[in-house]
Amino acid sequence: MDLEQLRKTAAEVASREDVKYLVGWKPGTYGYRVAPAFIENADGAAELIFSPLCTANLATYLTLVEELPVPRGQEPDDRKIALMVKGCDSRAVTQLLVEKGIERDEVVIIGCPCPGMIDDCLLAEKYPETEEPAEVKWDGEDFLLIRGGEETKVARDEVLAEKCRLCRYPNPVVSDITLGEEVETWELGEDQGVKEIEGKGVDERAEYWAEQFDKCVRCYSCRNVCPLCYCQDCILDRLNPTWVNRSVNFSENTAFNIARAFHLAGRCIECGECERVCPANIPLGKLNRKLAREVRDKYGFEPGVDPDAEPFQASFKPDDPEDFIL
Amino acid sequence: MSAMLLNKEKWPEFVGKLAGKKIVAPQADGDAMHFAPVAEGEAPALDYNNTRVPPKGALFPQTETMLKFQAGGEQVEEPVLDQETVVLGLRPCDARAMAIVEKLFKWDIDDPYYVRRRELTTLVGLACTEPGMNCFCPSVGGGPASTEGLDLLMVDLGENYLLEAVTEKGETLLTEIKELLEEADDDAGKEKDKLVAEAEQKIKRKVDTEGVPEGLPGLWEDPLWQKVSASCLGCGTCTYLCPTCHCFDIQDETEGFAARRCRMWDSCMFEEYTLHTSGHNPRPTRKERTRNRINHKYSYYVDKFDVIACVGCGRCTNLCPVNIDIIETLRQVNEAL
Ligand code: SF4
Ligand code: SF4
Ligand code: SF4
Ligand code: SF4
Ligand code: SF4
Repeated sequence: MDLEQLRKTAAEVASREDVKYLVGWKPGTYGYRVAPAFIENADGAAELIFSPLCTANLATYLTLVEELPVPRGQEPDDRKIALMVKGCDSRAVTQLLVEKGIERDEVVIIGCPCPGMIDDCLLAEKYPETEEPAEVKWDGEDFLLIRGGEETKVARDEVLAEKCRLCRYPNPVVSDITLGEEVETWELGEDQGVKEIEGKGVDERAEYWAEQFDKCVRCYSCRNVCPLCYCQDCILDRLNPTWVNRSVNFSENTAFNIARAFHLAGRCIECGECERVCPANIPLGKLNRKLAREVRDKYGFEPGVDPDAEPFQASFKPDDPEDFIL
Repeated sequence: MSAMLLNKEKWPEFVGKLAGKKIVAPQADGDAMHFAPVAEGEAPALDYNNTRVPPKGALFPQTETMLKFQAGGEQVEEPVLDQETVVLGLRPCDARAMAIVEKLFKWDIDDPYYVRRRELTTLVGLACTEPGMNCFCPSVGGGPASTEGLDLLMVDLGENYLLEAVTEKGETLLTEIKELLEEADDDAGKEKDKLVAEAEQKIKRKVDTEGVPEGLPGLWEDPLWQKVSASCLGCGTCTYLCPTCHCFDIQDETEGFAARRCRMWDSCMFEEYTLHTSGHNPRPTRKERTRNRINHKYSYYVDKFDVIACVGCGRCTNLCPVNIDIIETLRQVNEAL
């Protein structure tokens, strides 16, 4: 993508009178990090980038907005939020529209067709991170890592993020402005993670997840980063009644992780953010993708692709399968 | 006996000698490491960069059961803390963090849990020869071979570990294993100094703390807090995984007719942390919460206990999902001062 065009467009959008700020990506402070950028005017747009390190889904900032009570005599600031989205991110926005988490006229969506993102952990395994911020570019099929004036070609297969390996929608499904050309979709690999789980027997599965959930420190990063975890009154924060105790032990951790997975069934758009941010390295993607697969196979529903769809968990058809109900 | 050599081949024997005590040491978990109890007969490998989750739980467990009771019952059961523990291979920054946090837990009253666990625990540290990318311990009063908080320091000299007792507890441990040890000569000391100097050289990132503790209160209304916190998700990563973060909550929990009172880690980055029953929240947004996190570490704690409550381990920076980088934040603080 042409960075000049991106910055020019962003500058125009950020200076619009009806736009409060624009959320995009900017270079991070070290290594392979990229940071979310909040741009309030045309000048700020100069720091924006779009690179294979822009893995983060910024759609979460639509629902993370903190609204303080408006002082008497003042008007609330209802200006729009402009948001840069990749394909997966646009699915989150679409799902938010379906659920009426946001209204269409509250956002300006700048679509970035996405050739695939890097898993920075995989990259760091091959090419250890240094404190100096690195630059990465798309280079035909592959990636180009640039640091200290040196360029290294990195094979796509070695570092492509798992979510991108499985991505069916690299082009934004909804946008007001699209930057650059649409990309061609690529051949999908099999979902090895889910296949591996499905290949296990019940006891083996239970053991596998017990080991995983045991590591959870209940930091709730997975919940907070998730664009679709935005309940104002989350079941996890409730004290009266207490649905999930704050004690960190296998039983409570499991209750939490299962509750979150189920609350996202038919809503998770597989952006992979929860797994990316989990400091305990819990493979949350496998859990969410398994449920997504069940919903797709059983009900033919796929979240975040059609803004006019009925929300899956709030709709009922008489011929819905119910063979899993005991 | 103060500086001794342990041949690495005897490492399993050393660990074997500790039988009867609970041993907590770093263990592999996929591509990350975490501290966990070591199974009997196993000797942990120590060649690792620092763990993601710090070992603070050895003294300050994430969930501490304070008492248990039954609905309708009359007995209150208090857990007895008597398990002698050895933590092996913790990094100097994490040990320093324990010493720093202890100041709070010993402040107005002795916290029975923390202080008791510290009495029962021997901390055996391992000097860093390969510091991480975001380590900045020397900037905040530590260093890759700092001994503060430790009972015994180990330095990896290749074929041998150099063991230096720091406290009486450390001396005692050395006595217990003395038949495995050899007296360290001058060369070993020189080798250590060389390795430590090299490690310090490898630490590239720095913060300037000069004037920060006194200056921070004056930046209360500075726009920098809005800027720094704009992208914050309000998760507990930077605090739960910080070795010096020590906030806790106390809650009563029930399971059927059984009840327990627990204290558990809490985080000032959570919305409910300062939420009043009335619904009012004195730290209503992530801006105030971020400001508090930095102020608590770099100003309030200094005011109260005369030490910065950040040991420069870099975890908050390594693990923040949105690249909120404490080194960069402090650079901005310095710029605003
Ligand atoms: S991010 Fe990971 S460790 Fe944190 S609450 Fe979620 S699953 Fe648990
Ligand atoms: S559950 Fe995880 S993968 Fe699914 S939308 Fe939320 S953050 Fe993305
Ligand atoms: S880890 Fe980062 S995003 Fe999470 S609360 Fe801390 S600063 Fe905010
Ligand atoms: S504030 Fe960050 S760098 Fe400092 S001790 Fe805590 S986690 Fe480590
Ligand atoms: S901060 Fe210092 S002591 Fe801690 S891991 Fe890094 S080099 Fe070692």
